[in-house]
Amino acid sequence: MLKLENLHVSIDGRLVLRGVDLEIGDGEVHVLFGPNGSGKTSLAMSILGYPGYRVISGRIIFDGVDITDKPMDERVRMGIGAVFQNPPKIYGVRLKDLIKIISKSKVNSAEISGLMDRLNIDSSLLNRYLNVGFSGGEVKRSEIAQVLAMKPKLMILDEPDSGVDLDNLQLIGRELAENFKDRSGLIITHHGYILNYVKPVKAHVMINGVIVCDGEPEKILNRIRESGYRWCRKCYEMKMSERL
Amino acid sequence: MLRDEDVRKALEKPAKYGADLDLSSYGFGEAEEFAEIDRDVSRRGMEVGVDLDRRKYLSTFLHVDYSTVYKSVQRQFKDDLELMTIEEALKRYDWVRGLLWKLRDPCEDKYTAFTALNAKGGYFMRILEGRKILIPIQACFLLFTQGIIQPVHNLIVAEPGSEAHILTGCTIHPRVTRGLHLGVTEIYVRKGAKLTYTMVHKWGPEFDVRSRTGILVEDGGVFVSNYVMLGELRTFQSQPSARLIGSSSRTSMNNVVYLRGRSEMDLGGEVLLEGAGSRAEIILNSVAADNAKITTRGRILGLADNVKGHLSCRGLMLSDEAEISTIPILESKKMNSELSHEAAIGKIAEDQLNYLMARGLSRDEAESLIVRGFLDVGRMGLPRPIEEGVRRTIELALKGF
Repeated sequence: MLKLENLHVSIDGRLVLRGVDLEIGDGEVHVLFGPNGSGKTSLAMSILGYPGYRVISGRIIFDGVDITDKPMDERVRMGIGAVFQNPPKIYGVRLKDLIKIISKSKVNSAEISGLMDRLNIDSSLLNRYLNVGFSGGEVKRSEIAQVLAMKPKLMILDEPDSGVDLDNLQLIGRELAENFKDRSGLIITHHGYILNYVKPVKAHVMINGVIVCDGEPEKILNRIRESGYRWCRKCYEMKMSERL
Repeated sequence: MLRDEDVRKALEKPAKYGADLDLSSYGFGEAEEFAEIDRDVSRRGMEVGVDLDRRKYLSTFLHVDYSTVYKSVQRQFKDDLELMTIEEALKRYDWVRGLLWKLRDPCEDKYTAFTALNAKGGYFMRILEGRKILIPIQACFLLFTQGIIQPVHNLIVAEPGSEAHILTGCTIHPRVTRGLHLGVTEIYVRKGAKLTYTMVHKWGPEFDVRSRTGILVEDGGVFVSNYVMLGELRTFQSQPSARLIGSSSRTSMNNVVYLRGRSEMDLGGEVLLEGAGSRAEIILNSVAADNAKITTRGRILGLADNVKGHLSCRGLMLSDEAEISTIPILESKKMNSELSHEAAIGKIAEDQLNYLMARGLSRDEAESLIVRGFLDVGRMGLPRPIEEGVRRTIELALKGF
């Protein structure tokens, strides 16, 4: 589904990804861990093709097609959907308007209303301006609803569980678990709460724009929970000295 | 009662805001004969939200140039609403004179002075005590003769406990390019009454408008005004001023404008919170394309205990040749008042565009959605057919965008 080959990416001339290799098979869900500022969001944005993230070298292959030079909206239409961590406020544009445009021709209205019910998105939230005065839980539910309405082949979730209370987490977790049955995904999570619901097949750890290890999600998460990213930093140093 | 001499002197007085117009450059007094409400006229009506084809079934007031050509009260509201020309009202009720020029000063500037001395027509609407008129009352002002001044003076009285929605559409006949509309409107919202006053304007690239609106809201009264102006005109200036003298009275003023061409607009809203616990919200949303210049002025004065006010001025620039300035003013005379404002001007934000594009919209689709969002009328609480009409008007104005 997705293959990254030695991906180097910069923003405003600053190198944020420094040779990332990653492969996510069809129907696989992977999780990406890493300390703040390690480049996790940059990786998500680079896969999506968000303006400003410039590929210096390496390739992004999606669904067998090299999308390295394709603009974001084209990638989205090919089937990449992303949940943003901090989506902007858009005055005057109601959540319902955007969902209507997004789901057009892909999802029928009965499906949409079922989705909204399951995510506890009522008409009052649908009628509000996008992200204006939304609570943390509302932002996440709105983001996930939008992405699910797109029916993407690959879902990238940037911190779907941050700033969300337990009730919302359960709602989101169940819906995502259900939707990951037939699609691929990359989940970025700091705390790993979402892994109580969604079970990825593989985990990766990112340090300073490099993936330093791959492995079993639970094992890696437990390691990080016990001793933070101390070990990962050591692995990073080892990896970098190997490169030299 | 009017100090005629003072008013005459004021004929030379430029307005505080907006370009100064030479009143002698317009015709006055002579109008062409208006034949009938034909397709051109009814289409224009529709564009400003007024349904003239169904005039017989709705409460309707139609004024063309200097005279009222149609007026009727919807049958089911015969006992609830009085609708007549201001001249008829002055003849019928002694007290009407006492309500005129109380909420605006005839000596304010040359436009009020001219209207005070020369007004020809205008409506009188009175919603009787405790009556609720759930279907909008429509009023339409049309300019039919090229190049003239149309001075009108309107009076609305919402008696205690009454409720109504007034929809005013002001426009020009498609063949007219030049002229000046002077509208003075005084609105009294009595105890516990609720009045929604929606105004949609459509003019032409050479046309001028000066409007002077004064509002008084008594205890527990609610006044909601909605203003929508789309397209082009030469110059426009208006700053409705509301005095909330009643305790717990409320007002909300929503303005949405989209200007093209070389239009110059100075649009404001002013609320004096004089009653304890009174509240106000002013929203001024403006979009400037081409060479349009827009100034928005909001002013809220907290003069009584526990008042609240919020002012929001947002401007969207669609061209480097356009200009938007926004001047929010808050003044407080009480410690326990809560007044706030937010103001922002800019082009369409990149992060918003990118976000929508990340949802699969093309750049054009994303821009169009953001611009339409700026002109959102959904929060005005309009009845559904009117909202749809206004949305159609917006779509028409944005065609090709």
